[in-house]
Amino acid sequence: MRPKDVWRVLWGSGTGKAGVVFLGVLVAVSLFVLFTYPRDFGLHRWNNPAYWADNPKSAPPAWTRLLGAKGVPHRLLEAAPGPVAVTGQEATLTTFSYEYSGVRPPTFISFGLGEVRYRELPLVITVVVDRPDGRSALLYRHIVPGPRPGETGPYTRYAETSFRALLSEDPAVADNVASFMRQEFGLEVTPQRLRGRQAAALFGTPEEGSEFQPLPGGYTFSVRVLAQDAGDSVGQVKLVLGGSTHGLMGTDAMGRDLASGLLFGFPVALAIGIITALVSTVIGTFLGIVSGYTGGRTDTLIQRSCDVLNNIPLLPILIFLIFILGQRLWLVVAILAFFGWPGLTIVTRSMVLQIRGGQLVESTRSLGASKWRIMFRHILFQIAPFVLAQMIFFTPAAILAEAGLSFLGLGDVSIPTWGQILEQGFQTGAVYLGYWWWVLPPGLLIVATALTFVLLTLGLEPVVNPRLRSVR
Amino acid sequence: MSLALTLALRGLTLLGVLLAVLALVVVSLGATGFSDRVLNAVIREQLRTEREVLARTIRDPDQLEQVVAVRKQTLERQHGLDRPWYYRLPDAARRVLTLDLGEARTLRSASGSARVSDIILERIPRTLVLVTTATIITAVLGLWLGVKLATRVGSRLDRLVSYLSAVSYAVPAWWMGILLILVLAFYMRVFPSGGMFSAPPPVGGLRRALDFAWHALLPVITLVLVTLGAWVYVVRTMVLNTAQEFFVTVARAKGLPEGTVMRRYILRVAAPPILTNLVLALTGSIGGAILTETVFNWPGMGRLYYDAIRSADEGVIIALTFLFTLLYVGARFLLEVFYVTLDPRVRYS
Repeated sequence: MRPKDVWRVLWGSGTGKAGVVFLGVLVAVSLFVLFTYPRDFGLHRWNNPAYWADNPKSAPPAWTRLLGAKGVPHRLLEAAPGPVAVTGQEATLTTFSYEYSGVRPPTFISFGLGEVRYRELPLVITVVVDRPDGRSALLYRHIVPGPRPGETGPYTRYAETSFRALLSEDPAVADNVASFMRQEFGLEVTPQRLRGRQAAALFGTPEEGSEFQPLPGGYTFSVRVLAQDAGDSVGQVKLVLGGSTHGLMGTDAMGRDLASGLLFGFPVALAIGIITALVSTVIGTFLGIVSGYTGGRTDTLIQRSCDVLNNIPLLPILIFLIFILGQRLWLVVAILAFFGWPGLTIVTRSMVLQIRGGQLVESTRSLGASKWRIMFRHILFQIAPFVLAQMIFFTPAAILAEAGLSFLGLGDVSIPTWGQILEQGFQTGAVYLGYWWWVLPPGLLIVATALTFVLLTLGLEPVVNPRLRSVR
Repeated sequence: MSLALTLALRGLTLLGVLLAVLALVVVSLGATGFSDRVLNAVIREQLRTEREVLARTIRDPDQLEQVVAVRKQTLERQHGLDRPWYYRLPDAARRVLTLDLGEARTLRSASGSARVSDIILERIPRTLVLVTTATIITAVLGLWLGVKLATRVGSRLDRLVSYLSAVSYAVPAWWMGILLILVLAFYMRVFPSGGMFSAPPPVGGLRRALDFAWHALLPVITLVLVTLGAWVYVVRTMVLNTAQEFFVTVARAKGLPEGTVMRRYILRVAAPPILTNLVLALTGSIGGAILTETVFNWPGMGRLYYDAIRSADEGVIIALTFLFTLLYVGARFLLEVFYVTLDPRVRYS
């Protein structure tokens, strides 16, 4: 059968066509990820908590709000003010406006600074909020760290790691909000009693029984600065009003954007499946042909090793070896490939035995062809379609095995996979808390990827089993 | 070939499997320095207790240190730590075989024992209950459904089940378990989300048994759901192939009732290949059991694997790896015995 015929059979059946379309999508997404993601995504982004600090934790996808889920959108407000315009007195550096719908206050408020420079005296930065009822409250004051002993100006602060304050938890903010409540509403409340409700107080008016009535409308956050020298500058100001939903796929307990992790899993899963299948198919076919064609002691040796390897329960051995040798993805692939070939060798051998007795081999041999030429020019090409189908059939097994291993906590941390995302969800109790967005999508993607190769195998069945070929 | 000889040959292959796994475990433990660390920990533990005893009689700290150092050397020689790791292989193999793997770090058995063998042995029956129940249910359902489908090939039901069995190959058992927990335990609250008994466990034999069954139901359903597809498909295909043979036509021509034809002529002949396929599926169900127990917090060997990985308890992991292989090889041999008794050709060829 020529490649063109294989393709015709594949495209001719419904399952085969579906498999090809699925595979096209998988490959397209994988290519997109390969070209757009940084190489060190796993270590420096996915497993770096600082990178995800400004995301809401365990938040469902943003589109759930369209389906009627109550919640607040996530707002990340950023500015790059640069050099300070006014010196000697406090002046507005930048302002952020925030529209509050009144459903519920932001889940958290955080304030960040980056790349602050000053010549002599440290900058004093203040955050003031103007509320829709005309009142304004001092929220937070921060003095940039002064010169260290032996250091000479100009001084740079927060260049490598930016400054971040969680305003909704900060005790100083609680003091400020409490005194605002006292001055404006005459509400006597201790800062301790406001803990955890700072955002509710800030975005509301007090009512009977120490509750706060939400106050919808436009809020303006002004960031003010007191600088002494004309060259002083603030490189970056960031204000995050945490939402209760986030992104396309929601976030996990660390605030990680699940969509980006799931996308990264595409090329990884494909690579695991295809590399493992390719290696074990090459080994299996090679040994199967050699075993079947040469016979004798080589044959016995290969068949006995097959018997033993084929009977080893894979998952326990995989767990043991990865635990002892270290959690590395290439090791997983190597072990899976090593234990994956015997089944194919046994079947290939029996096919080769049939072909060996045939007239083609006999006539080729009489023409003086060498042993290797017969094995890998003539026999290999006759069994090629079968080998191809077996390779595709073996691909999901490797993907599923890696996912299972990751789920047991033996994944390679430098390369996030769908199995690892599921494992983290399971371990943090996402299943028992009903965080469906954390456990359903990775599982669905594993199933869809495995199913793609199952569909392709089904589509290729007529190639392998001639009795199923339709007569045209 | 006689029956006994055939079985002996199969047994020999499986023994080879066991030895290969044992060698793999022992060599990788030795070559990576793992066994050195384990033995050193054993010696340290022993020295600590001995030092306490010695400290009562020897007052001089310098002298005490000297005595302990000499004792340490003796112990190291006893355990073979003064020689390269490959000299200790036979001893290491014996320790794995007898589950004499010292004490676990943090894991404990129900009675509080830290010995690896105690921890593992009490868990074996719990895993066996789960796996055998699921296997029996799958076998009965699979045979019934497979035969039913084979009698109406090409019907809508037949095609539907064929597709479903293809899909079930792609669904990992543990994710199916998570789905069931999410739907039936979290949203509908009709099943417990895990464990083997409610807390506190109910008193009274019957109520306790019912509670046990209630907890076992979801894991069993999970195991059945993920393996049933393959069973049904294999049974259907094998029955179908046999039904096209001439002797079946002859049996029908003789006017035998359809039930008898199916039982005595088709199933009897189709049984060995069905069994062969199931033997091949056994590896998968062992893996499925490990992961399913983990998901449902079922305190069997599979969940122990997960806990041991979490607490990096190497002794428990080694023992479990070997025991799972043993379990697998045992089940394999049982199926081989079935196979040989079912298929007379194997005996006389």
